[in-house]
Amino acid sequence: MSGGERKKRISKGAGWEEAGGEFYQECYPGAELDIEHLPRDPHYFATLLPSKQNRAATTRRSRCDTKSTYKRCATNRSQNYSTMQQNTMQNDVHVAMMPDLSENLANEETTWEEMMLIKTMPINMSQKREIKAKLLSADTFRLQGLKQFKLKKRKLWEYLKVRRKELYKMIELWRQCFITIEGNFGTGVVAFFFFIKWLMFLNLTITVIIVCFVVVPTLLMQEKESDPCAQINDTSYECCPKIYFNSWTNLTITPYNILQGNGWLESTIMFYGYYPNSILENVILNYNLPLAYIATAAVYLLLSLCAMIKKAASGFKDRLMESEGQYYKYCSMVFGGWDFCISNESSAKIKHKAIYKEIKENLETERREEEKKNRNEEEELRFFFIRVFLNGISILICVFAGLLIFYTFQYSVGELQKDVHDDLHRLLLEFAPYLCIVGLNLVIPNILNYFVILENYSPISALRVAFFRTVILRLSSLGVLLASFFSLVRCTSDPATCSSPICQKPLCWETYIGQQIYKLLILDILSNAAITFLVNFPRMLLAKHLKCKFTQILGAQEFELPKHVLDVVYSQTLVWFGSFYAPLLPALATVLFFLVFYIKKFACLVNSSPSTTIYRASRSDSMFMSVLLVSFTVAVIPWAYTMTELEPSKSCGPYMGRLSVWSLIREFYNSFPSWVIFCFEGIVSSTFAVPTFFILILSLYYYYIVSKANKQMVNVLKKQLILEGHDKQFLLNRLSAFIKQHQERHKAIRSVDPPNNSN
Amino acid sequence: MGQRSSQFTEEELQDYQDLTYFTKKEVMHAHMKFKALAPEKVGHNRNAKLPMNKVLQYPELRVNPFGDRICKVFSTSQDGDCTFEDFLDMMSVFSDSTPKSVKAEHAFRIFDFDGDDMLGVSDLKEIIDRLTSPQKLNDNEMTHLIQNILAEADLDDDGALSFAEFEHVIDKSPDFANSFRIQL
Repeated sequence: MSGGERKKRISKGAGWEEAGGEFYQECYPGAELDIEHLPRDPHYFATLLPSKQNRAATTRRSRCDTKSTYKRCATNRSQNYSTMQQNTMQNDVHVAMMPDLSENLANEETTWEEMMLIKTMPINMSQKREIKAKLLSADTFRLQGLKQFKLKKRKLWEYLKVRRKELYKMIELWRQCFITIEGNFGTGVVAFFFFIKWLMFLNLTITVIIVCFVVVPTLLMQEKESDPCAQINDTSYECCPKIYFNSWTNLTITPYNILQGNGWLESTIMFYGYYPNSILENVILNYNLPLAYIATAAVYLLLSLCAMIKKAASGFKDRLMESEGQYYKYCSMVFGGWDFCISNESSAKIKHKAIYKEIKENLETERREEEKKNRNEEEELRFFFIRVFLNGISILICVFAGLLIFYTFQYSVGELQKDVHDDLHRLLLEFAPYLCIVGLNLVIPNILNYFVILENYSPISALRVAFFRTVILRLSSLGVLLASFFSLVRCTSDPATCSSPICQKPLCWETYIGQQIYKLLILDILSNAAITFLVNFPRMLLAKHLKCKFTQILGAQEFELPKHVLDVVYSQTLVWFGSFYAPLLPALATVLFFLVFYIKKFACLVNSSPSTTIYRASRSDSMFMSVLLVSFTVAVIPWAYTMTELEPSKSCGPYMGRLSVWSLIREFYNSFPSWVIFCFEGIVSSTFAVPTFFILILSLYYYYIVSKANKQMVNVLKKQLILEGHDKQFLLNRLSAFIKQHQERHKAIRSVDPPNNSN
Repeated sequence: MGQRSSQFTEEELQDYQDLTYFTKKEVMHAHMKFKALAPEKVGHNRNAKLPMNKVLQYPELRVNPFGDRICKVFSTSQDGDCTFEDFLDMMSVFSDSTPKSVKAEHAFRIFDFDGDDMLGVSDLKEIIDRLTSPQKLNDNEMTHLIQNILAEADLDDDGALSFAEFEHVIDKSPDFANSFRIQL
């Protein structure tokens, strides 16, 4: 820019400024004074921009002039500002912030709506009351007819909502427990206890469904009389049930029976074998029990799935946001970091520590990423080999665990074939595979956790890797167990006889599986309780009362959320798989989960101190649900397989004499009216299915494109926002420069003016 | 019910119910908790003004690193001394049924230490220091962290968070509503 040009510009600018100044003075009589007192810092102006005002601030200011109770109004900044604000902003603010009283059309409904809005205002109670009084005293139109009725309805609805809330608070289960846990451990851990409660109610719902549609009809209605098997000693195919039922002798109740699920318990509604295979008769209706049995199973599994998806949906949304980079990690760490519900001094200390640790870890991770980029190849290779090696060992351990479970099972079945008379010995043999599973679940995760430390992961992914491995271990041990069942059950005997000496297949294998799952579930809970009360509790006492270093190491425990979550999810997996074979398993599970709540509460509040790892409620929720979904799949796939492929046992249950459970559904389907079958086949046929498939793919693609475009739009808007911000900064700087100039000129004029004037 | 009539009139309770997120029962419960802080004072005058250190004896506030700020924000006299109505306001904002936007507004006021309606670098520093105390991040980490926060949230690039920006962040933070909560 040449000198002449600049001069010209400046003079032009000065002229404009002068004109602007005059205009300014004309419009706002008090402005001259203001400009002199205004600070020159552009940041100060930034705070006056409308976009920078929160409602609290504006309301506060609007109140300053009417009622100067706020101390803020007297602070230096506001003092500078108050004169101008009184002139210019007062009216705007009032119009914008106060409920509009001047509106002529205010009727009862709008008044009521406004009254409901008062509570959202960040002002204190007396002011709220003032506004309410104003609203009530203002003239309103009375509504007529239908509108009046609608308003009444809305008010009643609101009233009922309040009443419902009160009632719910009163009967809510474990409310006080939640508050205590929250006060000590924060929101992440309390989410786990909500999860237990949710599972308990899920099981309760499943129980109700099963009881209504399977158990009650069986108990109330009578079987159609049909007894083809006349002689007791007949060994033909029709007599299988008889043989089985005759094995129910000696039905005394012993504690062993209750633990093992055999003897007396086997002959009750608890297990599959009890349920008849015929259509039940009543005076009013005939009830097809086999069909109801399978339909109920399908319904409660679907219901569980829907409930899970519904609960997971919001969590997954957050996860998605996180993965798309729209998640504000550091901001939520700082602004949402403190759990305001914490009420315990020592927990607060640990929380401080945990936040400190989390912030450090995150900064550390970031630095590590940087480092990774310039880490040399040799080091990279070394870590790679360590990881491959340790992963290999982890897999080996898992395989070893699986084999151990398999052979223990084989051994136990083999030994039980021989006659074992000693009750305790028998009990031990029966429980051997399950003791093995529970033992492995206790020991191996610790080894795996130790590996993770060696592998030099970042702290966050270390947690994830360890958790992932433990999940795999747990579910694979369950898988091995199911495979062992399968190998036992698969062998097909001669179709004409009930059982063959070559097969070790039990007479009623469904009941047998039900019993195994029943045992495993009970053992799982018992071991949980035993570890909590008999191992961890003394450990805690040791650490608390003996202050030496050794006992501190031995006894100090943190509440490790992932481990406890797995315990609970594992039980639920067993219930899903087993409830077909033991229909009252969900009822048992409901009771057990009720107990588990107290066991875990004890483990949490008495045994352990809060963890120094922060568990966020949103993240734990999505973690629970994803693990639960995986375990649901693990439970349902084998079950579905047995439904379609395996032959139901001939001597018991609703499906005796059929090739598979699936054949019943086919039969039922064929009994539909022909048009239903026609419609259904039309839907399934290729003429319909292929276009549908294509339409689905196309719409999927469309939404993919839309989301991509939206993402791009977000980026563009962000850039624009930054540009606007820069523009604003520029203007503000210009403005402050202008004011500075103006003030200096005033000073100059003043110092020059008096002699001029006197002349 | 006898207690209710002696403490508050039905009309007052209705007022409180309309103006806060509490039901009448919860208002009574809140008053019980308030009374427990200073039985001798509140016994005489149910709306007595308690000094800040008395209010800070409320367990959740005592251990809260922002306890004094909370008291100041909700106190009518701006110095942290709270009457029952202030206390009720406070608990109402922290209750379960309060919408996120209302919570965000108050959180902003709590975090705004210097009262300039912006969360500037000094505010952020104070927040982080209070969160991590007794430990302290070193200067390097602190600048790094604040840089990260501003990079995430300061949309218009002016070196401070305005309320709109803060609200935007809160909207995207799933845990805020969950953690900004005190159960009565």
